[in-house]
Amino acid sequence: MIRHLAGKVGGALVSLLFVVALGFLLFRVIPGDPVVAMTRGRPVTGDQLAELRARLGVDKPLTEQFADYLAAAVRGDFGTSYVYSRPVLELIGERLWPTVLLTGTSTVLAVVIGLWLGIRGAWRRGSRSDRISTGLALAQWAMPTFWLGMLLSLATGDLFPSGGMRYPDTPSDFVSQAVDVAHHMVLPCLTMIAVVYAQYLLVMRSSLLEEMHADYLTTARAKGLRDDLVRRRHAVPNALLPTVTLVFLHLGLVVSGAITVETVFSWPGLGLLTYEALTGPDLPLLQGTFVVLAGAVIAMNVVADLLYRVLDPRVRAS
Amino acid sequence: MTAIAWQRRRAAARATWREFASQRGGLVGLIGLAVITVLAVLAPLVTDASGLDVTRVTARPWEPPSASHWLGTDHNGRSVLLLTWWGTRISLVVGLAATVLSVLIGTVVGIAAAHFGGWVSAVLMRFTDFFLVLPSLVLAIALSTVLPRGLGTIVLAIGVTSWPATARLVRAQTLAVEARPFIERARALGGGHGHVIGRHVLPAVLPLVFVNTTLTVASAIVAESTLSFLGLGDPTRVSWGSLLHAANMHGAVSQRAWWFLVPPGLGVVCVVLAFTLCGRALETVLNPRLKGER
Amino acid sequence: MSSLLELRDLSVHYRTARGEVTAVRSVSLGLAAGQTLGLAGESGCGKSTVAMSVLRLLPRTARVEGQVLLDGEDVRGMSWGRLRAVRWAAASVVFQGAMHALNPVHRVGEQIAEPMRLHGVTGSVSALLDQVELPARAARAYPHELSGGQKQRVMIAMALACEPRLVVADEPTTALDVVVQAQVLDVLKRLVSERGIGLVMISHDLSVLASTCDRLAVMRHGQVVEEGPAREVITSPTHPHTQALAAAFPTVGDPASRQVTPSEGAGGPVLLRASDLHVSFGATKAVAGVDLEVRAGEIVALVGQSGSGKTTLARTLLGLRKPTSGRVLFEGRELPRSASGLRAYRRQVQLVLQDPTSALNPRHSVYEAVAEGLRIHRVDGDESARVAEALSQAELRPPELFFPSLPHELSGGQRQRVVIAGALALGPRLLVADEPVASLDASVRGEILALLLRLRRELGLAALVITHDLGLAWTIADRVAVMYRGELVEQGTVEQVLLSPRHDYTRTLLAAVPHAQRSTRPNWTSSP
Repeated sequence: MIRHLAGKVGGALVSLLFVVALGFLLFRVIPGDPVVAMTRGRPVTGDQLAELRARLGVDKPLTEQFADYLAAAVRGDFGTSYVYSRPVLELIGERLWPTVLLTGTSTVLAVVIGLWLGIRGAWRRGSRSDRISTGLALAQWAMPTFWLGMLLSLATGDLFPSGGMRYPDTPSDFVSQAVDVAHHMVLPCLTMIAVVYAQYLLVMRSSLLEEMHADYLTTARAKGLRDDLVRRRHAVPNALLPTVTLVFLHLGLVVSGAITVETVFSWPGLGLLTYEALTGPDLPLLQGTFVVLAGAVIAMNVVADLLYRVLDPRVRAS
Repeated sequence: MTAIAWQRRRAAARATWREFASQRGGLVGLIGLAVITVLAVLAPLVTDASGLDVTRVTARPWEPPSASHWLGTDHNGRSVLLLTWWGTRISLVVGLAATVLSVLIGTVVGIAAAHFGGWVSAVLMRFTDFFLVLPSLVLAIALSTVLPRGLGTIVLAIGVTSWPATARLVRAQTLAVEARPFIERARALGGGHGHVIGRHVLPAVLPLVFVNTTLTVASAIVAESTLSFLGLGDPTRVSWGSLLHAANMHGAVSQRAWWFLVPPGLGVVCVVLAFTLCGRALETVLNPRLKGER
Repeated sequence: MSSLLELRDLSVHYRTARGEVTAVRSVSLGLAAGQTLGLAGESGCGKSTVAMSVLRLLPRTARVEGQVLLDGEDVRGMSWGRLRAVRWAAASVVFQGAMHALNPVHRVGEQIAEPMRLHGVTGSVSALLDQVELPARAARAYPHELSGGQKQRVMIAMALACEPRLVVADEPTTALDVVVQAQVLDVLKRLVSERGIGLVMISHDLSVLASTCDRLAVMRHGQVVEEGPAREVITSPTHPHTQALAAAFPTVGDPASRQVTPSEGAGGPVLLRASDLHVSFGATKAVAGVDLEVRAGEIVALVGQSGSGKTTLARTLLGLRKPTSGRVLFEGRELPRSASGLRAYRRQVQLVLQDPTSALNPRHSVYEAVAEGLRIHRVDGDESARVAEALSQAELRPPELFFPSLPHELSGGQRQRVVIAGALALGPRLLVADEPVASLDASVRGEILALLLRLRRELGLAALVITHDLGLAWTIADRVAVMYRGELVEQGTVEQVLLSPRHDYTRTLLAAVPHAQRSTRPNWTSSP
C-alpha cells in the first residue's frame, strides 16, 4: 500500500513536471516572440517592448530561459502578471478559494443527484421516469454551460445577483457575509450542477446496467434477499467502482465548467482569472493558471486512485 | 467469391440500418442532422450574405422579433435569424474537422499502444494518460491564445486536445480483440503485424471508432462554442459561439434580449443532441458488449 | 415415498425477438429426501432452466407451465414473501462458475453468513467452512483471493448455510481441474450422505454424475429422453443420445474405446524435437527443462492440469514464444528466428485451438477463414480449389456449400472442422492441437477425434494433442507425456503410462478421473 502510494505520488510528480514543461512549450516556444503576441493590437514603443522582453527574460537563448523558468517554477515563482503587475502566484492564491467553494459545492451536489438518479434509472430501466431523466440528462449534457448560465440569469431576473461574490455594503459579521455569498452562489452553482450531474447520471446508469445480469445477483436473489437489498448490498457497490474512476476522469469537465461559469457570473475565482489572462493576453498569468488547474486535476486523480483501492478489494490485494 | 462477399456486406448493412431505424432516438437525431446540414449548405443560395455586414444594416439594434425580423436584431441591427443560420456552417465545419483530426490521432495511438506492446506501448500509454488527465479546455485555451486567431487554430486546438479518450477506447478494444484466439490462429498461420491489424483488428475496431466519432463531433461543437464564447474564435466569421460572445459582451442579459441569446444556444443544443442521439443509437447497434455476445 | 421435489409436466418458454422458444418440454421428475438425482445433457438442452425454475429464478422473459412442488407446495403459486422465505432455507443452489456467482467486493464469510442472518438461522461460518475442508481464516478472504476449487467449496458451504433439505448443484465442477474436481465431488457426496440432503446435480459429463448420483435423467432438446438408476443408464443406455454421451467419456483401460493399434504410429523419423527447453515469465518458470519428440505420423498426447505449463510449451514449439533457453528442432534444424524464416516454418506446423467459436473471426466467412493462410503465404494456384480440397479433407462436404457461411451459422463441430481445414490448406506435416474437443459437446467429440485419426492415416499427419483429459489420450494417442509444474514427469506409450504409471502424479491424475464401473478400472493401484 505504502509502496503503491509512493509510486502514485511519484508518477503524479512526473506528470506535474510535464505540465510545467508543457507550460514553457506553450507560452514561450510556440508563440515565437511572446512579447509580440502579448502586445498584439496595441500601440507600444520599441523601448516598452525591450523592457518587457527583459522583464520576461525572453531575450536570452531558449535553453537558458528554460533553466531559469524551471528553477523559478520549483520555487513556486511563475513571474509577474503583465496586466496586474503583481506576482502570478499571489493572484492565484487570492482566487483559489472562491473556485474551491463553487466547484466543491456543485460537484458534491451533482454527484449525489447524478448517482441517485442513475441508480434509479438503471434499476427501473425503460420506465417512464427513467426515460424522462435520461432524456433530460442528455439534453443538459448537450447544453453549453455558459449559455445555460445566461439563460438562468435572464429567466430569474432580479431574484439573484447576476455577478460577483458579495455586495460591497454587506455587514462584515460572519452570518451576513455567508448569507450574501450563498445568495450570490445560487445561480453559478445551479448552472454547474445542471451540466455536470448529467454526466454522472449517465455513467452510473450504464455501469449499473452492466452489472444487472451478473451471476452474483442471481445468487443474492436465490438467497431470498428483497429486491432493494439486492440492489443496495450487491449491485450498487460493484457498479460504483467504474463510476468513481470516471467521475474523477471527468474532473476536467468541472474545470472547464468553472472557467465559463465564472466568466458569465463574474465569480472572482481561477476561472475568471483565466478569462482575464486570455483576453490580455497576459501570458505569465495564463501560464500560472494553466499549471495550477492542470496540477489540481492531476492531484485529484491520485486521490481517485487511492479511493478506488479502498473500495475495490481486487485492486487492493495486487 | 467477391460477389458473395459484397452481397453479404450489403445484407449486413441493411440489417444494421434496420436495427438503427428501430430506435426512435437515433432516427430523430439522424433526421435532425440531415435538416441542419441541408440548411447549412443552402445558406448562401437562399439568403443574402450582405446582411452579415455591419456597415450595410438598415434595422435598429436590439429590435425584438417582428414580422420583418423573425428573431429580432443584434446590437448592430443585424438579423439574428440570418446570423444563426450562417453560424451553423462554421460550427459544423469546425466540429467535423476537429473530430477528424482527433479521431485519427486517437485511433493510431490506441492501436499502436495495444498492438506492439513493450516500451512503445508503455510510452504511448503514459503519454495518453497524461493528456487524458489534463483539462482539455484549459489546454485548448492556451493553444488558441498563443497561436494566431483563425479557423485553423481552433480546429487544431480542439483536435489535439480531445484525442486521448478515443485512444483509450481504441486501445481497450484492440486489446480485447487481440486477446481472442483468432488472432493467435492468424499468427500461427504466419500473419505479421500488417495482416493482424489490417484483417482482424481494424475491422473489429472501426465500428466503435465510428460511434466514437459521432459522439466526439458533439463535444467538439460544444468546445468550439466555448472557445468562441471566450473570444478565441475566428473574429472574421460568424459562429454560434461568437454570437454568444457578442451577446455577453454587449449585455444581452441586462437588455433582456432573449431573442439574441436563445437561437445560437439552441442551435448548439440541437446539433449536439442530434449527434449524441445518433451516436448512442449506433452504439447499441454496433457495440457487441451492449448487445450481448453471440 | 414422500417427494421432496416433484416436477409435474414442467414446460418453460422464453420470449425472444424471433417469437417464443421452448427450452423445457413437459418434464416430470421426482426426488425423495436423501436421494441424489443427476440431470445430464449437452449445452442448451434445458437442464439449467430446470434448475432455475425450482426457486423461480428464471428471467422475466420466461413463461412457465406445469407444477414445481417443493415439499408438496407449488413454487409457482407462492407469494413473494413466501417465496423469499423458501429460497435458500428450503432449497439452495450451487451455481455454475463460482467465479461469477460470488460477489467480488464482499468477503466470502459475509456472503456465507448473509442468508443465515436473513432467515434467522443460528450457526457458525467457520463450522461450515470446516465441513468443506477450508480453514476458518478463509472467511476473511475476498473471492479473487481463492482458487477455483476453494471458491466452489465456499459456494457449497454457502448452500448449506441454512440447512436446506434440497440442494441443486448446476455444473458444480465444470471449470475445475480433474484433481480438484474429484475433491469437490467427494465433499459434496460426503455432506449429502451425512445430512440426508436431497441433491439434484446437473452436468454435461456423464462420468461425473455416474460417480455421484443414484438416479440419472438424460435431457435433450428440452425433454427427458432416458431416466433410471445411474448404473443402468451408464452401462446399458437405450436411447441413442445417451449412448453417444456415454461413449464421449471413455474409460481409461477399456479396450473398446481405444481407437489406435500400437503398431500404427511407430517408427517414423523424428519431426519435432525439444531439448532442455526452458520458458520463464519473470520469476515463474512455466517450462523447466523439457525434452520431447514427435515423430512423423505419430499422435502424442501432452497431459497435465491447468497451470502445468503445457500450453506455454505448445506455443514455444510453434515459435509463437521465444524460449528462455534450450532448443526446438524441426527435422533436425533449429527453429528460425527471423520473421520470414518463422513464416516458412508455419507451413510445416499448424495450430488447432480449443474453442473454435473464438478461434474464428466472427466477421470472416468459412472461405475467408480457410484461405487466410494461403493468402498470407501467397500460395500460387487456384485458391478456391485448394480451399475446397481442405474443407473436404475436414469432412465438410460439399465444400462449396460452406464457402459463404459465417461461423455463427455453423455448429460447434463444424466450426472446429473449419479451423482444421484452415490448417490443412497449408499442407502441414504436424498439427499442434490445444484441447481440440474440450469446448465441444460430448456427442461431436468422437467425430473430431476420428477426423484427426483419419488425417493421420490418409495424409500421414502427425499431431501433438494437448489435453487434461486422460480418456482422450487413451482414445487416440500413440504416446503420452505427462507434464507437472513445467516438467515432463513421465512419458511412454499409452499402455505403459496409463495402465502401469510409475510417477505419483500420473497416479493422482488417474485416480481423480470419475469412474462409474469400478470393475473395468485398470489394476495399477498395487504397482510400485
